[in-house]
Amino acid sequence: MSLIQSVKNSVRKRSIHVCYVNTGSCNGCDIEILACLAPKYDIEQYGIYVHNNPREADVILITGGMSPQWIDKLPDLWDRVPEPKAVVTIGNCPVSGCVFNRPGKLIDPPVSKYIPVTASVPGCPPSPAEIISAILGAAGELFKDYEIKNKEAQK
Amino acid sequence: MKKVVDVSLPVGPIHPCFKEPARIKCETAGERVLSTEVELGYVKKGIEKIMVGRPWQEVIFLAERVCGICSVVHNTAIVETIEKISGISVPRRAAILRIILNELDRIQSHLLANYSYCYTIEHETLAMYLLNLRETAMDAIESVSGTRVMSAYVVPGGVREDISDETVKSIVSAMDKIEKELKRFVKMFESGPLIALRSKGIGVLSHEDAAASGVVGPTARACGLERDARKDDELYKELGWHMITRTESDNFARIMLRFDELFQSVNLVRNAAAALEPGKIRNGAVITAGHAVHTVEAPRGDLTYDLELDEFGQVVRVAIQTPSIPNVEVASHAMMKNLTSAADVTSVFISSDPCIACAER
Repeated sequence: MSLIQSVKNSVRKRSIHVCYVNTGSCNGCDIEILACLAPKYDIEQYGIYVHNNPREADVILITGGMSPQWIDKLPDLWDRVPEPKAVVTIGNCPVSGCVFNRPGKLIDPPVSKYIPVTASVPGCPPSPAEIISAILGAAGELFKDYEIKNKEAQK
Repeated sequence: MKKVVDVSLPVGPIHPCFKEPARIKCETAGERVLSTEVELGYVKKGIEKIMVGRPWQEVIFLAERVCGICSVVHNTAIVETIEKISGISVPRRAAILRIILNELDRIQSHLLANYSYCYTIEHETLAMYLLNLRETAMDAIESVSGTRVMSAYVVPGGVREDISDETVKSIVSAMDKIEKELKRFVKMFESGPLIALRSKGIGVLSHEDAAASGVVGPTARACGLERDARKDDELYKELGWHMITRTESDNFARIMLRFDELFQSVNLVRNAAAALEPGKIRNGAVITAGHAVHTVEAPRGDLTYDLELDEFGQVVRVAIQTPSIPNVEVASHAMMKNLTSAADVTSVFISSDPCIACAER
């Protein structure tokens, strides 16, 4: 491994920029993500920064089970996120639709039909500690040696 | 006549200041914002449509998930509507426990609203103080109901489970902590010169506009309108509730009104804890067919459930009027008009405490 690669690895581990996208959730998961910002949980001590701007994000957090408005917009938003990037879904809705997946529904789960999903945190809603551990676990593995993996994939 | 508009400036749907997706289209001339239009529809789930034909046991959980921030009040509203239809009485201890949980929910919701406003005007220090204080209220909610959000604590005929005397004591001490800390933060907010520059005289909603538009909740009370569904509740009056209003009707008044209501909610929880007597927490209940309309005071304003049940306890027709519907409309048409700076658009919008998930359902 080259020197620059090891520098990149150690930097990326401590600098994860997060954007959360509400694709039709009830707010429950969104406020649990917000609660991670509170000094009690203090998400920034792990090097995770919530900017809510897709153009500088590394990890997209998705809450909600794909409402009709988002079906064409979410792949667009995913294209705008710079590489390397990952998606972590928060809550039951992006996986199964939870209570909203009933006859006569408007939502169209799962989210993995539209964009590639790396990890999922189930729960209605999951606690802030679970959300933090999921982001750290997914991003650490995914962004490690990203350039080497990318080169091998292109061969 | 042709409008003189320089740039049509879109804000959103993903924006650093918004908790939820909403798009605000601003018509600007230079830095001045002439008019705005709020575009919703990003989180429409069709909850009312899913509810139809489902038994009441399932509908309680669906109603809770209309809004994650004020889930307790949605739970209370639909259960009290079902109780109104079937004529079910609630034991006194259960009614007081409901008030304790509802006021704790109001405390965390108002703290979250004021956090969002302070974050929007870039006063991150005060915002983080408030968000940390909110965790105290969330812990109190967890000690009463068992979960932080979506507790399903209120059931027809009473509440799901009782709380011990130790829990009551811990809640009262949490209230003391919130009151002590909050006094400091309110002083910071009141006396901050930069906060005043961003807040005072901005987003003014005139008394005539407010009276004509049907605005509810803290946004209405900050304009001097006495609109609160709790004023008809005997138990709330017994516990020392009184109407709080302000007259400035700008951003500053709306945030300060929420701070005032926080102190009142803290006192209500304390009085309710003192009024708790040992007794039953749940009556037996038989759900019957019927139709009822019931209004309760959510943290954001009047929340009305219009519910019709058949003899099997299944929902025939349901309509939910949430407080965010009038408040978002008023924010876009009356408050965000002729603003001097485009930077004020988000802060005025957030000061009316919009809950998009509530508004679209």
